[in-house]
Amino acid sequence: MRTFSRYGTALLTAVMAGGLALSGCAGTTDSDSSASGSAEGPITIACGAMEDLCQAWTDKFTEQTGIQATYVRLSSGETVARLASAKDNPEFDVWHGGPVDGYGEAVNQGLIEPYTSPEAEKIPDEYKDPDGNWTGVYIGALGFCSNQSQLDKLGVDTPTSWDDLLDTKLKGQISVAQPSTSGTAFTTLWTQVTRLGGEDAGMEYMKSMHNNVLQYSKSGTAPGQIAGRGEAAVGLVFSHDCVKYQEEGMTDLVVSFPEEGTGYEVGGVALVAGSSHKEAAQAYIDFAISAEGQNVGQTVGSYQVLTNPDADTSDKMANLDDINLIDYDFAAAADAKPDLTARFDEEIAAEPKE
Amino acid sequence: MTSSATPLTASSLTQAPPARASGRSRTHVKQDPVTTTILVAVLIVLVMLVLLPLGRVLGEALSADGLAVLSKLASSRTNRSTVLNTLVLGTVVGTIGTLVGFLLAYVQVRVAFRGKRLFHLICLLPVVSPPFAVATASITLFGRNGIISTQLLGQEWNIYGLPGLTLVLSLSFFPVAYMNLVGMLRSLDPAMEEAAASLGASKFTVFRTVTLPMVVPGLGASFLLLFTEAIADLANPLVLGGDYTVLASRAYIAINGEYNIAAGAAYSLVLLVPALLVFLLQRYWSGRSSTVTVTGKPTGSFELLRANVARIPLLAVSVAVLALVVTVYAAVVVGAFVEILGVNNSFTLRHFEYLLSGIGNESMIDTTILALIATPIAGILGMLVAWLVVVRMRRGAAVVDFLGMLGLAVPGTVIGIGYLVTFNRPVALFGVNIIPPLATGSAIAGGAVAIVMVYVARSMPAGQRSGIASLQQIDKAIDEASTSLGASGAQTFRRVTLPLIRPAFLTGLVYAFARSMTTLSPIIFITTPHTKIMTSQILAEVDAGRFGNAFAFCTILILIVMTVIGGLNLLIRGTGAGREPR
Repeated sequence: MRTFSRYGTALLTAVMAGGLALSGCAGTTDSDSSASGSAEGPITIACGAMEDLCQAWTDKFTEQTGIQATYVRLSSGETVARLASAKDNPEFDVWHGGPVDGYGEAVNQGLIEPYTSPEAEKIPDEYKDPDGNWTGVYIGALGFCSNQSQLDKLGVDTPTSWDDLLDTKLKGQISVAQPSTSGTAFTTLWTQVTRLGGEDAGMEYMKSMHNNVLQYSKSGTAPGQIAGRGEAAVGLVFSHDCVKYQEEGMTDLVVSFPEEGTGYEVGGVALVAGSSHKEAAQAYIDFAISAEGQNVGQTVGSYQVLTNPDADTSDKMANLDDINLIDYDFAAAADAKPDLTARFDEEIAAEPKE
Repeated sequence: MTSSATPLTASSLTQAPPARASGRSRTHVKQDPVTTTILVAVLIVLVMLVLLPLGRVLGEALSADGLAVLSKLASSRTNRSTVLNTLVLGTVVGTIGTLVGFLLAYVQVRVAFRGKRLFHLICLLPVVSPPFAVATASITLFGRNGIISTQLLGQEWNIYGLPGLTLVLSLSFFPVAYMNLVGMLRSLDPAMEEAAASLGASKFTVFRTVTLPMVVPGLGASFLLLFTEAIADLANPLVLGGDYTVLASRAYIAINGEYNIAAGAAYSLVLLVPALLVFLLQRYWSGRSSTVTVTGKPTGSFELLRANVARIPLLAVSVAVLALVVTVYAAVVVGAFVEILGVNNSFTLRHFEYLLSGIGNESMIDTTILALIATPIAGILGMLVAWLVVVRMRRGAAVVDFLGMLGLAVPGTVIGIGYLVTFNRPVALFGVNIIPPLATGSAIAGGAVAIVMVYVARSMPAGQRSGIASLQQIDKAIDEASTSLGASGAQTFRRVTLPLIRPAFLTGLVYAFARSMTTLSPIIFITTPHTKIMTSQILAEVDAGRFGNAFAFCTILILIVMTVIGGLNLLIRGTGAGREPR
């Protein structure tokens, strides 16, 4: 009894002291972490790819350079929100992975700063920002990720056209994400806008597909796994995500592309404005753009098309020569995004289905 | 979880609020510097934990961007339906969860059958598991291509949206109602029922006219509690809400999809209104629940229900519910050991390898350590608040009590957003930085402090309630005797009060740990690379569709929670604190 009471009092005192001490350590820690622009790091990556790819990228980088690197896996939206909320004292040094539409928003808010890596010379102009704000590291083409056995059950052929998705037999069988939370889904929406020649026409198409949609998921890759488990017949995702699910055992999945043209993403890498470890961050970006850095994806089943001409190719990657890509204007897409997603939420997502 | 009768959370949450000592004055409160110091310190901590972040959310919500959202709430059809969806979900889950909880509690306390302990443990299973273990397993079992729905029964159910959310949230939260009502049923005075029975009333008449009216306040309190929990939940609406958007997921979309923190704050503010109303209503309501005996212990014992005509249907329904719980958790465990449950059922250790290869181990260690740090702080803080409120304070006790409870009453999403906007930069008072940045990766200790603070804020109120409940059963005279014999406030607390409230303290510890390990909604906004938290890692895996990894994570998490609780139980036995205080 007695010992316990003493122990309790001691703990109690410790709590109180702890509470008060919180205010005591102000100032000291700030200077430690932010003063240097050193090449040693450690650096922190806001990573927009899947968890295992993020892990593989940072591990490989540390192995090559000896610079410590950690990551947090965040969606584009989360990244922008967190960069914006800690603008004066950024917690991240580099943003790696995720479509550059999201990077556009960060450029508009002054959250990333230009860095032209020597490695970027090799990258074709169409895959990098003219002002050097971001550099493209991979390309993903939007495709149809279908579950063959579900299609067979419904008596529907593998879709090869956007209009195939309007088939009434596919009622409640299409899985697509919500454009406001998912870069993938926004690419889907903007693809319609570009292909059909205007926002109203694009919205009209999404509206006509609405009845066939199972649910607008929050995550852009989710439709692939929803199709993989047979909960929907078709998922709209970047084709490499579909291949990844195939690799992970969802063997019923097949990839196809719409013949009238499909959208694509360029996955980027960028330097966070005000990074406190600028040199190390730049070294990371050089790595991310290099052939070796880009080849990491294939080791964990991520088969994006790579932007570095020296990087390895695989027959599991989509062949961009065989796919009809639309003329995707990233700047226009980024500018139109807030209003267009709001319109989508208001006019389509909330509508009842028949 | 403790198998003892000690009601963990809700029963304590619904105990009557501190009875104001009418007329009886307590001596030496003002003059005692130790008490004053403790009071001030506790107040500072409570303000930092809850009030400050809440104030900042309010500030954000009332900024130009936030006001734009608020003003559109009624005019926009989408927003109206979001609010309506939230209220419907809260009502449905509150009702179903309470009914299920009551049925199981009634069977547990009043019906004679063997295996009560196992029954109790199964009922508590959802408390020790992370929120979307149930959601993920339910998709696999009852989804559109689910093992039970399609592969076994050939049906195609749509689990996305309201039906799925109802199922999953009711399954997740009924234990709260169960614990609440078990405690209540146990503490009812059997004298009234005995009187009714001896006057010739049938068993059913006694139940309908005597028992039921006595538990109505408890049922109401459970409903309100479940309502709050259901509308505040974020994980399940994200995973299987489908097109059924609720305020919590809307706030998440606003921040993560639209890059608009102010809008997120505005939506959470709306979420705060029903939660606080419910909380206040509950306090008012439970204050009138005078049917519970004063000592908390019944004067006699109940005659157990043995007649088969009532027993068999009651047990059948209960067993069906428990079978569902067991099936869901079996799916979690089995799913951890097969390739893709329901698609490819061959055995594999791949998911555990994946987690232990580096992606999961850090978060397992971090989460456990942070929860272990938060647990004693939450336990002690809860007891301190309880002690101040019941024993030491006269004026303002209700305010301190309310301040402490706020951490639980406020939806997790709101707390998380509050911490995000408050603690990612130094908090300044009159131009002087009084608190360094605590949240996000560039903060001290990589944001760990903020996470511990969230854990404490969320789990402390349970200890506070059980502390208040047990302190109220202690005669004030003991405390007064000690004080008038010359002991200081601290001495009295240490020598007299602490030993008496130790069981409540340990109950608070167990709950605090389980709650900390499984909390997600507030954490999702403040995880950093240095502090990876299991629940948010699980969400990422679910999001990416790798259910196997998520199942493996959930299994490990449940194991950790059970191990620590088992350890705490041993500790309780070891120190003899499991016994009633002398």
